[in-house]
Amino acid sequence: MSENLWALREQKKLSVATLAGRAGLPIGLILEYESGQRSVDVRHISRLARALYIEESEIKLRSDPRPGAGALEKQPRRDDAPRPAEPSAPPSARPPRDKSPRPAPAPRPPLPARPSQITHLQDLLLRLGRPQAEVEAEVGKPLAELDRLAASQLLVKLQTEMKEGKFAERHRAYLPEAVDQFEFKYLTAAQQAGDVLHFTLFDNSAVAGQVIGFGQYNIAVRTADGSEITLNKLAIVSYTKPAAGKEQAV
Amino acid sequence: MSLGDTLRLLRAKRGGITPVDIEEATALPKGLYRQMEQRYRAVGDDESIRVLAEYYRVPFEDLRWRLDWPRKALSHALVASLRDHQPITLYLWNGQAITGTVKWWDLGAIELETADGGRVVVQRHAAERWEPRVTGDASTVDAADEDD
Repeated sequence: MSENLWALREQKKLSVATLAGRAGLPIGLILEYESGQRSVDVRHISRLARALYIEESEIKLRSDPRPGAGALEKQPRRDDAPRPAEPSAPPSARPPRDKSPRPAPAPRPPLPARPSQITHLQDLLLRLGRPQAEVEAEVGKPLAELDRLAASQLLVKLQTEMKEGKFAERHRAYLPEAVDQFEFKYLTAAQQAGDVLHFTLFDNSAVAGQVIGFGQYNIAVRTADGSEITLNKLAIVSYTKPAAGKEQAV
Repeated sequence: MSLGDTLRLLRAKRGGITPVDIEEATALPKGLYRQMEQRYRAVGDDESIRVLAEYYRVPFEDLRWRLDWPRKALSHALVASLRDHQPITLYLWNGQAITGTVKWWDLGAIELETADGGRVVVQRHAAERWEPRVTGDASTVDAADEDD
């Protein structure tokens, strides 16, 4: 059942400003929603629901005005309020300030480029395959002498070149070295099928057995005589799954 | 076995010591040992390796050559082999050499299909050297760097 926005807000003991802040919406808009002057925009309803920790369906799209509250009226701004008449200048008034504009401060010398900017520029040039001397000729000075703004502008230019150039279509190699999914699948299949694996260890000794469990660092096997051994992967060089028919030899 | 894997093995043999313990015992810069052990690319120099060789009481050269065969370089070779359907030969630390085409590889292991159709799963840390070596093109290097 949906409820008026103002009622929901008050149930949560939130101020209008807090709700507006949480939902990322202007306070004025919240007030308009609460007063029923405006229906809640469908784009805002999820924000409001999240901010109030409720379901979207709980919010009434057009709130009923709070009982006793009049329609929102434009409050007179302080500037609009009638001001008391200006008293005549007191006898001990200060002399009027000199309203002439202050002299503009002398422009600061541009800051030199940060070392990180220079390093970044050099890195980009390297990746783009462009000689540093060529770019220095373009900008008219060595990279190390660029000011901060010029270095920043050059960085943007080179980064745009990177995006638009051959790097944009670069095919990234798939390097699955951050995962162990393939070995995981292999060992899972072997365990489920009850396969016997033949392990070669670091000292060229061999162990054969059914995989009964494995983890990131070890593999547990049950050997033909029924004993269970946990092999540390660091001790394993390789393992094979013999073709069907050869396992009886184990 | 890469330098990192070798250091990890040596530390495991000592039992119970942490990278921080080793840094304190050897006065290596903070974090260097951990990086040498854990990062996939080559980290370390002759001086740090000399210090660690003394600490673990192993010959300097046994550690030093491994710096040129980091895990990242093996990744490059595996990518190239898989992409080009070219066989790769892995020289393992038990003296074996296995040649085959890469069926899959991941964080811990590589499956090769040998010329006779057999399949063998090799633990990555067991591969000491490999052939062909691949320097890696720009894209491979970049992508590999992201994973490290």
